[in-house]
Amino acid sequence: MKQELFVQRYKHEWDAFEHWLNVRGESAKDARSTRRQWHGLGDTEIPARYRRLCQQLALARRRGYSPVLVERLQLLMQRGHTLLYRTPAPRWRRLAMFLLAGFPRLVREERFCMTLSALLFWLPVAAIFIATQYRPELSSALFDASTLHKFEAMYDPHDAAHALGRGSETDLAMFGFYIWNNISIGFKTFASGLLAGIGAVVVLLTNGVMIGGVAGHLQAIGSGDPFWRFVAGHSPFELTAIVIAGGAGLRLGLNLMAPGQRRRVDALIDGGRRGALLCAGVLVMLLIAAFIEAFWSSIGWMPAGVKYSVSALLWLSVGWWLWRGGRNAAFDGTAGEGATR
Amino acid sequence: MLDTFREVVTPEGVVLQLRAAGPVPRALAWLIDVAIRMGVLVAAGSVFAVLGRAGAGFYLIALFLVWWFYPVVFEVLWKGCTPGKRALNLRVISGNGGPLGWQAAFTRDLLRVVDMLPLFYATGLVSCLLDPWGRRLGDMVANTLVVHDAPPRALIEATAAPPIASTVVLRQHEQAALIAFAERGPRQSLARQIELANLAEPLTGLRGEAGVHQLYGLANGLLGRNE
Repeated sequence: MKQELFVQRYKHEWDAFEHWLNVRGESAKDARSTRRQWHGLGDTEIPARYRRLCQQLALARRRGYSPVLVERLQLLMQRGHTLLYRTPAPRWRRLAMFLLAGFPRLVREERFCMTLSALLFWLPVAAIFIATQYRPELSSALFDASTLHKFEAMYDPHDAAHALGRGSETDLAMFGFYIWNNISIGFKTFASGLLAGIGAVVVLLTNGVMIGGVAGHLQAIGSGDPFWRFVAGHSPFELTAIVIAGGAGLRLGLNLMAPGQRRRVDALIDGGRRGALLCAGVLVMLLIAAFIEAFWSSIGWMPAGVKYSVSALLWLSVGWWLWRGGRNAAFDGTAGEGATR
Repeated sequence: MLDTFREVVTPEGVVLQLRAAGPVPRALAWLIDVAIRMGVLVAAGSVFAVLGRAGAGFYLIALFLVWWFYPVVFEVLWKGCTPGKRALNLRVISGNGGPLGWQAAFTRDLLRVVDMLPLFYATGLVSCLLDPWGRRLGDMVANTLVVHDAPPRALIEATAAPPIASTVVLRQHEQAALIAFAERGPRQSLARQIELANLAEPLTGLRGEAGVHQLYGLANGLLGRNE
């Protein structure tokens, strides 16, 4: 068929398709509300029209029709493709389902990386903490004198009126600070995993050494009580979130180093997909942690018994959530992510 | 590496041709975005400064949102464009040619951290130059592409001329070249049209303006136009 005839025969189809895209393709919400006023091409016909257009484009290319015509068809097809293959809008229900079921499942699926990450974090914490009990001078090797002095002032057991764990900042200012600082650290822990996993390992080890060092030092000089009362509340969420972010980073690094029977880039894409989902959960966990840290942990007058019971309750619920979340048969298939490999 | 046209095969079995964007337009778009982000933060800073010490908290939350979620929100809600990309006519799309989803946008945003290492997006630049699609590491992991957005163009009709049947059998790419000449010729100066038509002297046997008209006639014959 000659080009002229081809254009003559199908031009009205292309124009109708383009008109539909211009008027109804922009937003699904607008399209629904103006359904009755629309008298052109029916919405249900669009997929068939799109496939037809694809075939016409293929024919035009095969027959060597002019570049201008082919380009026009390709543009139309690209717009149709963008429309038909768009990702569904996020739903609150699916988000809740992900947090309750999908996220714990994903964490359990990555149990190897998560265990590794937990070891990389908790071993230095324990080692440095124990070491500083026997050799208190170790802490001055880890931190310089002014930093140590700042920590000591923050958790001074003789100053009961002072809010725990901070200088003179207000709760709200610290809430903002914890969000900015802690969540950024969580995200960076994951992302640095792309450097063959080394980044995540370094971040986990450094954080482990720092936290172990501070805890050990304050315990050794007798400021243990205010320190433990401060960290008890938010540590279940914060420390678990950092370990999970580290695990996601390790998964990404491992996928880069040992892609298995996949192309390296496919392994990376899979690692990135899982990592982003895990980071979404980490974001929520760290938001909760920041809230607790700013408005609960810092209350100085709260008796230690209350703080520790709440902490125990939170540790148990985080553990229960990660261990049992999404095991219920009701979640099968609905959780979406993390359900299948 | 020199050819930035990339092809993606859609589920319908048709090849989608995409023009991958290189590091320079992307860097310019990034600069525009940085300027906008700085502007927003300065404005937020001066507003929250009124609130005193609690304002610092709001400012840090604003900093967190602008730093991590400015690209994600714009790319997902505004068809793959941040304001900077819109200015440079760029767009982020999914690796299969489809639109960008939340999760891919979030992934490429998170991995910006690695692309920024050690300074000034050096890792991202190297990756962008080495990859035939011009992707930075974050794009590879998120399976996304940054492409030039082609502006929609109307269908240009070839110049009308009395059709002439070709006496020689022309091969397909030769036919395409003739038709393209008939479509695009009128937008060029007469001197350029003549210059191009003179190249086809072995086919038409004519030079100058007569050659141009002869080519238009042949193209019309190939298009199947009647008198």
